Amino acid sequence: MPTPWIVGLAGAVFAVGAAGVMVRRNPLIMFMSAEMMWNAAALAFVAYAHQFHQMTGQVMAFVIVATAAAEVGIGLALIVWIYHRRPRLDVDEISEMKG
Amino acid sequence: MIIPMLEPEFLMGIGVLVTLVLAMVVRERSNTAYWSGLVFAVAAGVRSFTLHPAAHLVGGMMVADGYGLVVNIMVTAAVAAGLLLAFDSGRYTVEFPALILLAGLGGMIMGLAANFILLFLGLELLSLPLYILAASRRDARSGEAGLKYLLTGAFSSGVLLFGMALLYGSTGTVTFINYTTLHLIPVLLGAGLALVIVGLGYKLAIVPFHMWVPDVYEGSPTPVTTFMAFGTKVAAAAALLRVLAFGFALTSGVWGLALGYFAVLTMLAGNLLALPQRDLKRLLAWSGVGNAGYVLVGIASHTVSGAQAALFYLLPYGMAIVLAFGVIRVLEGQQEGAQMEDLTGLAHREPWLAAGLTVALLSLAGIPLTAGFFGKFYLIKGALQGDQWGMAIGLVVATIVSLGVYFRPIQYMFREGEGRPAQWSVGAAVVVAGAAFVTLFIGVYPQPLLHFVAHAATFTWLR
Repeated sequence: MPTPWIVGLAGAVFAVGAAGVMVRRNPLIMFMSAEMMWNAAALAFVAYAHQFHQMTGQVMAFVIVATAAAEVGIGLALIVWIYHRRPRLDVDEISEMKG
Repeated sequence: MIIPMLEPEFLMGIGVLVTLVLAMVVRERSNTAYWSGLVFAVAAGVRSFTLHPAAHLVGGMMVADGYGLVVNIMVTAAVAAGLLLAFDSGRYTVEFPALILLAGLGGMIMGLAANFILLFLGLELLSLPLYILAASRRDARSGEAGLKYLLTGAFSSGVLLFGMALLYGSTGTVTFINYTTLHLIPVLLGAGLALVIVGLGYKLAIVPFHMWVPDVYEGSPTPVTTFMAFGTKVAAAAALLRVLAFGFALTSGVWGLALGYFAVLTMLAGNLLALPQRDLKRLLAWSGVGNAGYVLVGIASHTVSGAQAALFYLLPYGMAIVLAFGVIRVLEGQQEGAQMEDLTGLAHREPWLAAGLTVALLSLAGIPLTAGFFGKFYLIKGALQGDQWGMAIGLVVATIVSLGVYFRPIQYMFREGEGRPAQWSVGAAVVVAGAAFVTLFIGVYPQPLLHFVAHAATFTWLR
């Protein structure tokens, strides 16, 4: 498969993720969309690494996956902790600070 | 082979492990872990200061040079300030010192990263502990701050990552030094560079990527906010400067222009929106946004003196903001956060505290005899040497607006009446005294620091 197609797919996934973060109001979905953006980047890295016959992009993809796992661990813990305080999850309602 | 230039990073890494073990072994409500964290942070800072700046390119992954050392000193100072402000309150968890040290290590790695893999790792090592720390107080506002920081942080890292992927795709490399020969910017490369600037812009808090700043600064515990305001900003600015002024030096006409507009927008918006704030932490958050714009002026002017000025300005800014947060820490006592009204009559009740806050605000406003004056002076000089009149005028206008921001708290301090009683702690007193001393010292005698920084921010040795 030619690289531009795969990168095009990665771009589409990235756009869907970015739109998800901006449009959706549930922190869990927003967080998931952000993770989609990360995975789109990892896909693009792998596609380019395949094209260049290099390991650099592959290494970067692994780094991204590992870091995303760490971030999910922290993120889910945070969201669950907030969920314990308020049963409905909506970032528009989580706004005590304004100005 | 262990390179001596990396000793501060090793010290910090060992410090994280020792502090973690200590936090596990000793009982709760003991200061042992804090002491250990403080000792290692100070040791790493002092080692960075005493090392002779040489320049090594370590396997294309990192550049161990004077620039990294300057970043090390500032980041370790931010870690030490955060630890001291959290010290004898016993309100913060035992994991606090290990986490803030880990974030500091991330910032130090960002300062010496020479390719995007290490830059990304450093950024995440800086961000992940800060998500936890922002939410570490057990109330709703802290949780809100942590959640907002997490969501914007994950989003901005995603943007940065995709930008890196596009840069990798159009050049076949992730190492900055391989970008130094680029003369033209094709579309794909331009898109990648734009996304990288946006991703780092979120961390640096430049307008229009700043909306998380006031809420996160206000909701986080004050020691954590202190580290965020100084350490994170230093690391993000250092990484941006290294990528642009070093990697993309030959195509500066393209990114310099775009960054110039961002700089003017950030300076004006940050200072204008600081005007109506009544919460002191929010006021300083907006002031931090405005100051990110000042730093951006130095980067965007794409001259050597501009880069030097940008790196130099981070220290006066950081010292002033640490000093101001130290005063807030003394004022707030057991209840987090401080309002403008809490300052009423402070000049009569607590003259030393009022003097400290006055020095901080005057330095942020850029009044002579404080460090902030020289910071802004060299920024304007750098902008004019790059023939960037628009940015120089924007900086002056923003400074005039900021006078209105910074004189209002001073006015409150001299009013008659009863505000909030101050609650001194030894750690906060050390922070206030130390930051005030450095601010005034640089304001009177900036030459040694200037020489040190000017040498560090010259990347020409690689070309």
